Amino acid sequence: MSRREVESLKGYKQWLAVIMSLLLAAAVSACGNQGTAESAYPSKQVEYIVPYSAGGGVDLVARAAADYLSKEWGQPIVVVNKAGGGGAVGAEYALKQAKNDGYTALAVNVSNTTMLAAGMKTPPITNEDQVYTARIGKGTLAFAVKADAPWKDFAEFSAWVRANPEQLTWTSVGPAGFSAFGVAEWLDAIGADFAKTRMIVTKGASDSVPKVAGGHAILAVHTVGEIMPMLQAGKVKILAVSGNTRSLFLPDVPTAGEQGIQGLSVFWWTGVSFAKGTPESVIRKWEEAIAKMEKDPAFLQKLSEIQVEPAYAASEAFTKETQAETTYYLELATKKGIRK
Amino acid sequence: MLIIETFQLLLAGFASALTPEHLLMAALGALIGTFVGVLPGLGPTSAIAILLPVTAVLEPTQGMIMLAGIYYGAMYGGSTTAILLNIPGELSSVPTCLDGYPLAKKGRGGPALGISALASFGAGVLGVIGLVFFAPILADQALKFGPPEYFALMILALTLMVSLSGGSLVKSFLMGAFGYTLALVGLGPSSGMPRFDYGVPALVGGFDMISIIIGLFAITEVLKGIDEKRTATLIGKPGSVYPKKEDLRVSAGPMLRGGIVGFFLGLLPGCSAAITSFLAYDMEKKLSKHPEKFGQGTIEGVAAPEAANNATSSAGFIPLFSLGIPSSPPLAILLAGLMIYGLTPGPVLFEQNAGFVWTVIASMFVGNAMLLVLNLPMVWVWVKLTRVPYGIMAPIILMFCTIGAYSVRNSMFDVWVAFLFGGLGYVFSKYKWPVVPLVLCFILGPLLEESFIQTMAMGSGDLSIVLFRPLSLTILLAAGALLMISMMLNRRTQQRLKEERDRGVDVA
Repeated sequence: MSRREVESLKGYKQWLAVIMSLLLAAAVSACGNQGTAESAYPSKQVEYIVPYSAGGGVDLVARAAADYLSKEWGQPIVVVNKAGGGGAVGAEYALKQAKNDGYTALAVNVSNTTMLAAGMKTPPITNEDQVYTARIGKGTLAFAVKADAPWKDFAEFSAWVRANPEQLTWTSVGPAGFSAFGVAEWLDAIGADFAKTRMIVTKGASDSVPKVAGGHAILAVHTVGEIMPMLQAGKVKILAVSGNTRSLFLPDVPTAGEQGIQGLSVFWWTGVSFAKGTPESVIRKWEEAIAKMEKDPAFLQKLSEIQVEPAYAASEAFTKETQAETTYYLELATKKGIRK
Repeated sequence: MLIIETFQLLLAGFASALTPEHLLMAALGALIGTFVGVLPGLGPTSAIAILLPVTAVLEPTQGMIMLAGIYYGAMYGGSTTAILLNIPGELSSVPTCLDGYPLAKKGRGGPALGISALASFGAGVLGVIGLVFFAPILADQALKFGPPEYFALMILALTLMVSLSGGSLVKSFLMGAFGYTLALVGLGPSSGMPRFDYGVPALVGGFDMISIIIGLFAITEVLKGIDEKRTATLIGKPGSVYPKKEDLRVSAGPMLRGGIVGFFLGLLPGCSAAITSFLAYDMEKKLSKHPEKFGQGTIEGVAAPEAANNATSSAGFIPLFSLGIPSSPPLAILLAGLMIYGLTPGPVLFEQNAGFVWTVIASMFVGNAMLLVLNLPMVWVWVKLTRVPYGIMAPIILMFCTIGAYSVRNSMFDVWVAFLFGGLGYVFSKYKWPVVPLVLCFILGPLLEESFIQTMAMGSGDLSIVLFRPLSLTILLAAGALLMISMMLNRRTQQRLKEERDRGVDVA
């Protein structure tokens, strides 16, 4: 080799070293390092698994929370979307595949917990697989149809469905998600045959609402926030909301009860849970941080922007409520043949 | 009106792409991509496969920016080895070898590289402009895409994969079926029920996309390299990379024509860069006043295929983002990348993730500009790199593959899967079984299944609604037509490849 070539080879070696060390740094940070003191939690990036596609209600709440907690703790809390199976795929990942070291949190939601347990004879994940850490928010369900649909109110629509159940196509967030329970409860209340209607299973609200707006299905049952963008774009209209009171975000839309259809109690909620066996200190840390977060005006403002009502519940209360809910949904699912 | 709105979105995308963080990601991606692309035999597909896990730890926007940078960088790296060493990293670089290597032997490798960089920059710009015009039209139609239309789209994509891989239809079909079978393992996308796990806990989560891709594209490539005892040939100095006025004058026409041909054919899903670069090369040869000089080192012979090649690659982003259809192997891996970030490409993507999409589009432009600025002065560095013995490079690449496969789910299972598929991929390539249908069916299989079940629910168990809806019927008919066109073009490309092989060009 000539001297010149040796010189330039040196130059290239330096480049190689720079590039290699950058790659290594990235790779090492991906592998992570365990075994740091518990008190220092979180000492590295936390994966916050959202088991639905981006842009849905669970996703938006998780992103707002991740943003707050990243600043609070000075470590990145990274939202990762793992959609599929009505929330089961991501939940299974967070609760069963990932380590229970507190570095994988699940954006838990009514659909992939109490409803999943009620909807399946052998659910891939159960209440016992997780530690319900804190509830963050809740929302009432809204019944949406295409903007130019022929029905003027919920009572008229319900009458049509009672007469023509086989013509009703509705989109859901999964085989046993809150859409399914909301529809089952409603059909039960109006005396229509659930088994004759057709459910179209989607990956989540961002996939489901456009199907109704585009006229591919008749009804979408989602949280107010999830329907809001298409409502504002004038592509869908909301016939009713569930619950006893009108939604904070839709003061003009009457409840189902006001239109003579009583007993719609299904509501949507989201929070955080961890895999069974996660250190107690981690659970406490999240519980406390979320309690503090729910008093933060900036966070509350964000929740309001995405049309989710704050509904903090600490681990113990949260767990109790989910257990009661499971019992109710189990009964509903068995009666309606949702349970498979 | 729509165009103006899109333009504003693009400007916002630029504002975000030009933040120091994102600029850094684009620069890193372009550099690392070039680095891997320059390594003998490793093209854009393997470059993206190796580096996908590295980007997966980043925040989605940054990850995608880096990935796009890696893609363009590796493409550029591929032309560098094609011109200087007569080693095409991918089929699409074969036409570049034809005149690029003779030019390099004449000591004019530098200007050839310069022209190639200019061509790729121009093509990148063309791609961005195309997206600006095309995206709003599609976003506007997004709501018309229901389950039957998605089902038809998936049929279209999977039909085209056959033409993508060239070669035998039967082999492609069987490989696709294998990929689909792999996708069935794990929790069902519509039922949420575990299936085909045979009681093995690791299988409940299904196979991981990244480990399969790393195995088939990166580990296989290393095994092939070891098998071929890859070494680089020494060549002289490439000369100045800045083309002379005369070079620019001669190549302006070919570049423009190649770019246009490449771009418009690239819009057809399934029309790969290998097809358009050969077309452009042959077209210039026909138009030329001195066709006999082609193959002996004419700058036009580099300009035309390079422009076509890169324009096709840029245009490929349009069907990828707007329909979710990848038209080449590296784009198939990019599709996997998008899905890892939780973004399913399709008509709704532009409506729901506009900020993200336009940032990535703007950063492609930035990435191309960066390649021009960074890489031209560094050509000599890259040339040196090609001389690193394969005995040193191979274990380093394998190490990255292992780390990458492991880091996705922190599980050794995925590492074994990667190595298993590495071995399989090696056997596949030895007996010319195409792996792209396998990967595409593995990625798109669950989407096909989901839209199939949704369509069945819509039609009360009757699939024929696909045929009675104008849009889905149109897509199906288009699938048939495109299949025929691309089979014709493919046959032509295979013919040309065979000719070049007979003339002794080293084609994988």
